[in-house]
Amino acid sequence: MNTLWLLTKKNLQILIRAKSSALIVIFAPLLLILLLGLSYNTHEQYALRIGVSAPSLTNDVLAFTNLLEEQNFTVIKYEQGVDPCLLDIKSGYVHTCIELPTSLTIEDNNPKEIIFHIDPTRINLVWMIQQSVGSKFSLREQEVSQQLTQSILDRINQSSTSLMQESTQINLLKDKTTSASSSAQHAQQSLKTLDLTFTPPAHDLQVIDNTKAQLVASASAIAQASTEVTKFNLTGAQRIKINTLLTEANTAVNTSIDLIDGSQTSTIRGLIEIFQQDLANATQKMNSASLKVQDSASTLDDTKTSIQETTDSLQTVVGDLDKIQQVLNSGKVTQANTIAAPLRTRIEPISSQGTYLNSLFPSILILVVMFSSLALGTTLVMIEKNSPAFMRNFFLPVHKVTFITSIYFTNLILNIIQIAIILGIALFFLTDSYAAFPAVALILFITGSVFTFVGMIIGYMFNSEETAILASISMGSLSLFVSGILLPIEALSSTVRSIVSLNPFVIAEKLLREIFIFSSPLSSIWFDLVILISYALLLFLVILLIESFFHQHLVDRFMRHHHPKHKEGEKK
Amino acid sequence: MEFIQAQGVSKEYAKKAVLRDVNLQIEEGDMLGIIGQSGSGKTTLLNILSGFVEPTNGQVVYYSKVDQRPKDLHGNFSKIKQHIGFTPQHSSIYPKLSVKENILHFGQLYNIPKDTLIANAKALLQFTGLYNDKEKLAEQLSGGMRKRLDISCSLIHKPKLLFLDEPTANLDPVMEKEVLRLIQEVNKQGVTVIIASHHLENIENTCNKLAIIKEGKVQSYGDIDDVRKPFLKQNLTINIKTGKDKEKIIALVKKLPVSKIVDQGNQLVLYPSDDEKALAQLITRIKEEGLSMSDVDIHKPSLRDIFTKLTQ
Repeated sequence: MNTLWLLTKKNLQILIRAKSSALIVIFAPLLLILLLGLSYNTHEQYALRIGVSAPSLTNDVLAFTNLLEEQNFTVIKYEQGVDPCLLDIKSGYVHTCIELPTSLTIEDNNPKEIIFHIDPTRINLVWMIQQSVGSKFSLREQEVSQQLTQSILDRINQSSTSLMQESTQINLLKDKTTSASSSAQHAQQSLKTLDLTFTPPAHDLQVIDNTKAQLVASASAIAQASTEVTKFNLTGAQRIKINTLLTEANTAVNTSIDLIDGSQTSTIRGLIEIFQQDLANATQKMNSASLKVQDSASTLDDTKTSIQETTDSLQTVVGDLDKIQQVLNSGKVTQANTIAAPLRTRIEPISSQGTYLNSLFPSILILVVMFSSLALGTTLVMIEKNSPAFMRNFFLPVHKVTFITSIYFTNLILNIIQIAIILGIALFFLTDSYAAFPAVALILFITGSVFTFVGMIIGYMFNSEETAILASISMGSLSLFVSGILLPIEALSSTVRSIVSLNPFVIAEKLLREIFIFSSPLSSIWFDLVILISYALLLFLVILLIESFFHQHLVDRFMRHHHPKHKEGEKK
Repeated sequence: MEFIQAQGVSKEYAKKAVLRDVNLQIEEGDMLGIIGQSGSGKTTLLNILSGFVEPTNGQVVYYSKVDQRPKDLHGNFSKIKQHIGFTPQHSSIYPKLSVKENILHFGQLYNIPKDTLIANAKALLQFTGLYNDKEKLAEQLSGGMRKRLDISCSLIHKPKLLFLDEPTANLDPVMEKEVLRLIQEVNKQGVTVIIASHHLENIENTCNKLAIIKEGKVQSYGDIDDVRKPFLKQNLTINIKTGKDKEKIIALVKKLPVSKIVDQGNQLVLYPSDDEKALAQLITRIKEEGLSMSDVDIHKPSLRDIFTKLTQ
């Protein structure tokens, strides 16, 4: 146990006394955690730049954009259609495009559609957009739904008020109807008391018939006689006869008269008198009935008036009910699902959705190139620094730039081989992307150069190979963590974000994504490409400066490393 | 004539003086040995003289026959370094390259024309005895062979100055001798050689000039005999193995310029006050007197003696 402790103690002593190792081993992870902690320790709203495209910037659209701006989202408005916005997603200028209709007011049962254009390859960003913008959108949807419901409630209230008013009218109508009913009942009772019974006497109508027949016969005879007289040239006898006949006729007529107007009771006169009496009775009854009828008519007039008024009131009620119906029908949104979800969202990916490999391929490529370039750059510099031939190289008539460049070229060759292998393998999986491969190779080449130089700088700055490799891995990890691959850089604090946006990893990955996923031409990404190339040149200059600055240090270090006695002498 | 001259050179590391006011001149064809204890500053001096390390104060002047005027070595190092070859203590070659590849690699970097380079390389390989092993990887060579390869790499561009730091360190005696022979051959070909070593005997047997350095200061510098001269009076002895004429010889010796006589029985140890005269007179007088002696041995002070004296 003691031995174990002694060995452990010795190891710790060696580690701590090797300052750079201690610094890296102990402080590098702490530094890494500190940097990441500081970077992501924020409650700030995700720094999303949201493109809003609408046919025109109506109040509804502006209200929506204001809602987003209140949440500190950067809103970029596109009035020229959605295409420029989509291009800006591809270039990374905006994170999502929201395509809005002119108005968010729901006018029928069709919900309004809002299209979210997103880059499906940035999976973590899609989640962030859904989380952040989706909540604002839900809020807006809730508002619209609330407006619709309020509209319906307003109409119901209006109808209710109208119905209250109609209730009075209906009560009045009810009274009038009751009154009319009473009047009708009264008229009915009056009419019930009306006695119109009339019993006809049992007259012998045969007398009249006989008389009538005799008179007819007389009349006929007289008429015949009269006719005969006129036709013939009658003698006296004839004339006498005729006269006799006429006399007989006359007698018959007289008899008839007696029958009609005689002293007997069964004469026509008597009958007429009876009739007159009966008629008088009847007239009396009828008069009585007439009075009743008049009374009823008067009552019925009242009833008619009441009914007329009722009809008018009913007409009014019908009219009012029509109005209520109109009010109720005035809401064109009648479907519950439209009221509950008046806005419909649709997520539209801006690129064809391939496999996950398609999405991750640019990141993977950059990741591989970054780590390999960092490690190679560091390793080769360390190999050269720790090479036994370091001193001999010093005496060679070779400029240090040439040495540095040779290390870079060595890396480059290895990088090219690596890229060729990766792309070669990728050909089997990403058959649709052949055309992009030359540009991809160019970007990887530049990225490899940048990270090679970073690796070389680390190599020049650290003494031991292990420490330098650890430093380069730490550097790579830091770049990875703040690249947006694991966590979106939009979640970083604004200060850190502005620094992180300069991360060559971020720039390179963005370039590769545009080329590989969106098939953008090189001409559209030249600016970022120039930045990346500038990084490479700048880092090369930094290496030259470091090499010049640390040259004497390297010489001293070499002497210490290769001449232990010298070191002992120095200690003395 | 070309030469290299250190003028008041001093060097500090972390404010600690490693070298102090070093002045010396190395001329064309010289073979200078820098000796000193470990940590005395000899490697630092070698590195400063070679241009690898810049002095804190003073300067190293390089005089070229071509330019006919002295130049600051460090200020004009990029032009002068092609005349310099350097073989550090530890091999300064690429272990993963073969013998031939190492030589050709460094030769090519000196921009030597290909044909010349191949011829030079072949000659060097033969000269250093590595020709048969030219295809071997450097890491597969023995210590001595590796040292020879190192020297070959330092000579491929035919330098005028060859600096060697502990050239015989970690070599067995046979290899050591072989390497020293090689260095001498190189020197004979007109290359000025500067060696830093703590192998005093090797320096004594190989070099014509010597710089003894102690705690960063040159204690003695010059031709080996010149360095030795101040120590002869105190350290030169004449050892005579006497026979029956011992007493006569003692009597004779007392008449000579001898400061001290030590009788060791069969041998007399004489400390002459003047080395040259005493020895000559002694031999003449013994011959004249017809005295018998079995052996006369002159013991001059060795470099080790001088070094010990100077560095104590």
